[in-house]
Amino acid sequence: MAKPNLESREKILRKLRGRELINCFQCIKCTSGCTALKLLELKPHEIEKLVNFGFVDELAASDIIWTCVTCLKCVQRCPQKASPYHVIVALRNLAVEREAKAPEAFMKAVSQILETGLAEAYQKVTTRKMEACDRESLKLPKIPAPKEGFQAVFLKALEER
Amino acid sequence: MTRIGVYVCHCGLNIAGVVDVAKVADYAKGLPDVAVARHYAYMCSEPGQRMIQDDIKAHKLDRIVIATCSPRMHEETFRKAVAEAGLNPYLVEIVNLREQVSWPHAHEPEKATEKAKALVRMGVARAELLEPLEKRKVSVEKNVLVVGGGIAGIEASLDLADAGFKVYLVEKAPSIGGRMAQLDKTFPTLDCSACILTPKMVDVAKHPNVTLLTNSEVADVKGFVGNYEVTVAKKPRYVDETKCVGCELCVGVCPVKVPDKFNEKLTQTHAICIYSSHAVPKVAIIDPSHCLRLKTKKKEVCGKCLEACEAKAIDFEQKPQKIKLKVGGVVVAVGSEVFDASEMAEFGYGRFKNVISNIEFERISDASGPTGGKIVSPQSGQAPKAIAFIQCVGSRDKRFHEYCCRVGCMVALKQAILAREKLGDGVAIYVCYIDLRSFGKGYEEFYTRARDLDVNFVAGVPSEIHGASDGSLYFDVFDKGTNKLLEIRAGLVVLANGLVPSADIARINELFHASRSADGFLLEAHPKLRPLESSTAGIFLAGACQAPKDIPDTVAQASGAAAKLVDLLSSGEIELEPLKAVVDEELCSGCRICESVCPFLAVEMKSEKADGEEKVTAEVIEEMCQGCGACASACPTGAIQMKHYTGKQVLVQVQAACAGAEAKGKGGS
Amino acid sequence: MRVKVAVFWGCCILASQYAYEMSVREVLPKLGVELVDLREALCCGDPVRSVNDFAANYLSARVLALANLTGLPNLLVPCNRCHFTISEAKRAVERDEKVREKIVGMLKEEGLEYNPNIKVWHVIDLLHGCVGLKSVGKAVVKPLKGLKLASHVGCQIIRYSDLGRVDDAENPRKMDELIRATDAESVDYNEKLDCCGSHLMLSHPDTALSLAGGKVKAVQGLCVDGLVVSCPDCGLMFDSKQKEAGTTVGAKLNLPVLYLTQLLGLALNIEQEKLGLQLNQSPVDQLLSKVSA
Repeated sequence: MAKPNLESREKILRKLRGRELINCFQCIKCTSGCTALKLLELKPHEIEKLVNFGFVDELAASDIIWTCVTCLKCVQRCPQKASPYHVIVALRNLAVEREAKAPEAFMKAVSQILETGLAEAYQKVTTRKMEACDRESLKLPKIPAPKEGFQAVFLKALEER
Repeated sequence: MTRIGVYVCHCGLNIAGVVDVAKVADYAKGLPDVAVARHYAYMCSEPGQRMIQDDIKAHKLDRIVIATCSPRMHEETFRKAVAEAGLNPYLVEIVNLREQVSWPHAHEPEKATEKAKALVRMGVARAELLEPLEKRKVSVEKNVLVVGGGIAGIEASLDLADAGFKVYLVEKAPSIGGRMAQLDKTFPTLDCSACILTPKMVDVAKHPNVTLLTNSEVADVKGFVGNYEVTVAKKPRYVDETKCVGCELCVGVCPVKVPDKFNEKLTQTHAICIYSSHAVPKVAIIDPSHCLRLKTKKKEVCGKCLEACEAKAIDFEQKPQKIKLKVGGVVVAVGSEVFDASEMAEFGYGRFKNVISNIEFERISDASGPTGGKIVSPQSGQAPKAIAFIQCVGSRDKRFHEYCCRVGCMVALKQAILAREKLGDGVAIYVCYIDLRSFGKGYEEFYTRARDLDVNFVAGVPSEIHGASDGSLYFDVFDKGTNKLLEIRAGLVVLANGLVPSADIARINELFHASRSADGFLLEAHPKLRPLESSTAGIFLAGACQAPKDIPDTVAQASGAAAKLVDLLSSGEIELEPLKAVVDEELCSGCRICESVCPFLAVEMKSEKADGEEKVTAEVIEEMCQGCGACASACPTGAIQMKHYTGKQVLVQVQAACAGAEAKGKGGS
Repeated sequence: MRVKVAVFWGCCILASQYAYEMSVREVLPKLGVELVDLREALCCGDPVRSVNDFAANYLSARVLALANLTGLPNLLVPCNRCHFTISEAKRAVERDEKVREKIVGMLKEEGLEYNPNIKVWHVIDLLHGCVGLKSVGKAVVKPLKGLKLASHVGCQIIRYSDLGRVDDAENPRKMDELIRATDAESVDYNEKLDCCGSHLMLSHPDTALSLAGGKVKAVQGLCVDGLVVSCPDCGLMFDSKQKEAGTTVGAKLNLPVLYLTQLLGLALNIEQEKLGLQLNQSPVDQLLSKVSA
């Protein structure tokens, strides 16, 4: 028999700055239109209710919260302004806070930003005629990486709860 | 020397549980001019009231201060009690020790007691300056205005007319009947709407006490309860009501086609037409914005209807009329509008022809409607193989209207049942809902009936609706019960558009000073105990204009409003409260500030010649004055004062408050 | 009319979607918009939001602080995701005093200042509203009459309405109107508001490609000459990865996909090489031959 954890629920409420975003009355509109439902079985209405009842720990440890495509249809159409997207982001933050559980690519992006300021490395691409190009060959300007002070401050920002 | 009686109520434990009532009564004894000070468990009770009455006689008291609950509760009670003992009822001062002391300061009893003492001190200071006032009787008109000719207006009119009142029933459409005339059947009995409505429509039109003014609107309202002066603007029909026999020959020859409003624009009618099936009065009307002759204002143009009319009833020269009426009271029954679902673009209303509103479905289902009662998809004109009803469109939605429309579920159940009955078992019928509300008498049984007829209830609503090239609609909807994503394809989608406040409600708000609640509907005086009247005296509310509701509730409210009006006007006179503004002409400089701030048009300027000079001063029309006090606070010379709330009476309380607990002296000037 | 705006490219454009950058840099000045780059290349914080919401807001605020250094009151953000992330950050900073204090303090450590009055634009509303459809129409020298196109405006610049977005969430019209300004046709279709799935590349790449493939397949079914996008992530999914997307949904995808600014560039008769059209991976040649015909 699953037991709710009201402390974890409080944490999520604090991240959401109040309970308006979980004030769901289960109309199911979000799930009916969820881009990630058919292929990944994401049910935003379930997430709302689970958080509302306090079943936060299971969600934070789950894979399901990483299936959201961030299309924002649920935020747009919810008649109660309940915003499952924001709840999912809060759960993701909690997951990282607790276990550093996040798909690798997210953590990679963070390290890349620390190093270069950008979340991706500059790539070499090819034309349809298989010619290789990069920013230089395409005569695109070089925009410098962030100055030295940036790293330390960004790290501080990552520590904020 | 005044002789004041002070009574501190325990209010059970409500006050006494926090405030030391004995101490307060004791303290009151020491206040100036207090002859008697007592405390008692329930001052509003019989023994409590008798205590005051006995003291008035025994101690020759001429002012009473009662420290108890809010004056809104029992001020009237105590005034009556005091009047019975021979004292003027306006010599009573209520000090609120409950809502203003024991309830908000429940955790600080000592401080609460000190505050109670201060409030009593203030009350005693004011009581000294209270003056006796008399209620005035005003004669009233025994006529009533009913605004709106739907079922609410019709019912109220019939009840009032039967009670012997003269009723003016004003309806803006060319025919009475309102929304109910557009319905096919009514829930939960599936009575034919027209069959139960038209007899009442005919009754009201024929009733000797009713004057029916259709194609008319209220243009102006002046006056006050019992004595309203209403101006009704009657728009021209361009057809003589006394001559037209309703044969519709004119309609047959008119070359101009116009969208048919009564049929929700699902079909077309002509520039001259009879407004609706079963219209009352059954008289043609010409739309001047579409009629060729009236639009161009050229006398040689068209005129085919004039030629065809055997009764010689067409009159292109007909002019608008302004009709002045004197009435004692008003029933507002202007109804509401249906939500325009094109605001919710994700459902494709307005984009896809086969997505219709619930009211459009009614017209399709009605035998006298555009399809002769056949349920069809508007695009193809063929019967659909599947119908989907989507609930709560525009309702229970913070993006549009937060309230529940109250009738959407029952309408969908009705329409689902009708669809099953008309189209047979082969058609798939879905109702996609959030909650299914079937709360009234016979309503739950109606829901069972729908389920028995194999209507599929989907616990969930779709996010968006798409249209296929053949005109059919398709959408995904997740069902809570089975945890499955259903992919539904339907030839017809019916949206349960909610009821919303109409522009008419906004106009009524302005014309009659009838307030609106936060949801936009007209505000009742009290949601539980006074649901039939607005807070403006003499204006009563009936039907959907006060809040969305179904026919049984509408009829009940209409009859109730009628009864209230009979109660108000039947004696031929009403009493006016004396709490009005009054002008001291000596002090009035004629600056007109009071006239400009009065929201009730209750101040008029009058000019008099005195000593060869013209003096302009303000005068209060007591019947219009609502006692709001705006004038008194704005007046720079203090010439205009509120009776019972004069500047002195207020200031003396302030001084008493500031004087502190030790003060025993009288309040200042 | 001439206007000078600062421009923030984000990561995706600078690191791989070069055609978008090239076409914006070519086309906008010809429509009277002068672009000023920020002094640094920085991430807006979009991928960081799932890790730490505050850190993401800090990065976006830092972008605005960099924009502040240019002294210009307008910032063009051609990427949908950056536009959304920065808009959310602006709101968080405005509404939460504690967040604002912390972020302002952090920016100060680098000598940067947060300016709340910088207006954030996307290519679509900058051209539609600021430059104006009339001016765009006037600049067209090679009308693209006969071209039938479908537009994909994306998700994060139309949702969610409460935040104040670039176009209407259910009935976005601005991109279609810009396409029509070139005399090309822009069709309505049921899947118009469907998502490209790009965000899922970070965690479920196959599903992401399925979503993209599904949409391309549906648009292909409309028999249009091409699909027009205005976000580098959407461009990545529909154009750069069209072949892989096709494999994932088991369909042969053959739809020309190009950026709105590339399309406008064609109508302005700018050389195809300058618009980066050689870089598009989808079969744009069939569309280009129709244009030159």
